[in-house]
Amino acid sequence: MVIAAGAVTPVGLDLDAFWSGLLAGSDGLSAIERFPVNDLRVGRGGEIKKVPPIAAGVRSRAAALLIAAAADLKSRAPIDAAPERVAVVLGTALGGVEELEHALAGDDSPRRALDALYDAPAHALAGWLQARGPAITVSNACASGATALGLGADLLRDDEADLVVAGGFDILCRFVLRGFDALRSLTRERVRPFDRRRSGLLLGEAAGLTLLARERDARGPRLGRLLGHGTASDASHVAAPDPQGRGLESAIRAALDAAGADPGDLDFVSAHGTGTPLNDRIETAVLRRVLGPRATQVPVNSIKGALGHTMGAAATLEAIMCLLAARDGLLPPTVGYEEPDPDCGLDYVPGACRAARPHLMLSTSLGFGGCNAALVLEGM
Amino acid sequence: MRTGACVQAVGVLTGWGEGVAALPDDARAAATAHPVIRLTRPALDGERFRRATRECLLGVAAVQQMLGDADLPRGAIAGPRTALLFVTAGAYGPSNVEFITGRAGTLHFPYTAPSALSAEVAIEFGLTGAYVILVGGPTATVDALWQAGRLLGEGRCDRALVLAVETFDECEALWRRARWVLPTPLVEAAVCAMLVRGASGVTVTGNGSGAAFEAEAQTRAGSTLACGPLIALALAREAGGGATRVTGTWRGRRAAIELTTTGRLARN
Repeated sequence: MVIAAGAVTPVGLDLDAFWSGLLAGSDGLSAIERFPVNDLRVGRGGEIKKVPPIAAGVRSRAAALLIAAAADLKSRAPIDAAPERVAVVLGTALGGVEELEHALAGDDSPRRALDALYDAPAHALAGWLQARGPAITVSNACASGATALGLGADLLRDDEADLVVAGGFDILCRFVLRGFDALRSLTRERVRPFDRRRSGLLLGEAAGLTLLARERDARGPRLGRLLGHGTASDASHVAAPDPQGRGLESAIRAALDAAGADPGDLDFVSAHGTGTPLNDRIETAVLRRVLGPRATQVPVNSIKGALGHTMGAAATLEAIMCLLAARDGLLPPTVGYEEPDPDCGLDYVPGACRAARPHLMLSTSLGFGGCNAALVLEGM
Repeated sequence: MRTGACVQAVGVLTGWGEGVAALPDDARAAATAHPVIRLTRPALDGERFRRATRECLLGVAAVQQMLGDADLPRGAIAGPRTALLFVTAGAYGPSNVEFITGRAGTLHFPYTAPSALSAEVAIEFGLTGAYVILVGGPTATVDALWQAGRLLGEGRCDRALVLAVETFDECEALWRRARWVLPTPLVEAAVCAMLVRGASGVTVTGNGSGAAFEAEAQTRAGSTLACGPLIALALAREAGGGATRVTGTWRGRRAAIELTTTGRLARN
């Protein structure tokens, strides 16, 4: 059971602002100001210009975003289990890598070195929450946020915790901008998922958290249910997705199987939808295979045109978006999608948000290293 | 439904050599003045490995070692019914440092991700099943063993590989800044355990407490971070008989998992 959520994103510094920004079709992408980008082809992204005051004094930006999202979460639902029964499960593609940049740039403090490890932000958040249960860091690249939610639900099923704060995060830093810039994955134009003119992605930074509990322990309002999750490896390439999307299809079918659901039951898909020519074509083909004849009738959106690709946070934010869509009966549009591509012929929710109340939803994610993950979610 | 799990094989490579038999009685004494006991880059052929890092090749070598322990051909683990769970505290560090300092070319960037190592392993052995990558010290390995047990118990795979790799040499100066966390010697290691469902195969057993194997792994192997619990498993297997607990401690947290002679995996 997903009790509540919290977020800090380029389109809004809390959950309500995030949601209203998505519904309004806001564009959170802007010129990056926090670090030098003059030497890069592309210097734009989904940058959070001002960290919420509650996290202003936190040295690690990754930890600061997590604490801001956690404060938002706590304002919506109490985390009132015994500390040793509260777990933290976070997904990240980059962890504390900006701390490594600082450590190599002359800051030789021991703390910097330890904070450079990818699991440091999760432990920082667990400390801030005073959570003494398992503290797990998932690093399935850009699919991490989905796998983290899945592992969080598993901890509850195995009675390893009574409450789980599960989600994902990542920040923009020179390390990742340089990397994607070098790979020529970043677009100089607008991010246009599934559009004929799509030419690449832009990165973003964010933290998204959910509070998970077993159904019998859930009190008060709730957002929905995580019914199933699945993962699969492509085993085809270190950086590129499998050309046929076989791993993604396996992950989707595993998630549906775990949920006890049939593809015919799905009425909304939150796609990974990066806006790269390859990803969107492959993902569309996979959805066609999974959804069968209903493929063109099921709305599919991507929120990466609004936020940029927030990497470890992406899948969590997309899962949260699904649950909010079910709650409010509104599907956010795919920002940037205007001209249909014959290779991507599904209903991508163009233009403005759409009135629809999905019940059973699928969220898909892919990442470097042949990582694929899928979640099946149920709205309340 | 969970039907339990047991460990069928463990492949161990450390800076001391192959298998637990290569471990000294006292790593600190054996290391003399060397703070890092290094593993050499495995000599794996093939054009495909031309960009692969030393860490990636160590992962591949650990799986090969495990297959040797299980007396299985590599084709036996290929396909969607094998889950891969990779754990490391810092094997991505050398790649990250190389990229930040500009010593690596632009195409090196994908190798900075922890998932690059497991991707090379998955590609090499054709592993297309469930796929989870955890970052952390020994507690993360216990978490991976727990997740492997879940995947097996739910019938999502027929076997689960829990792979851990740690290297220290290239980032020795950084690790030494955190020396209060990691006692020397820092011993590079790559370890792979194969878990299967039920009581089939060779059940990992031991006649002592998990804490004893954790301590023995630390004493004999040295600091191996995420590899520690898997080395403890291998030591338990060598000891034979009875149930064992595999434990881990990291950043002030402790995790334990129990593997009983019936093969049931219970995390506690």
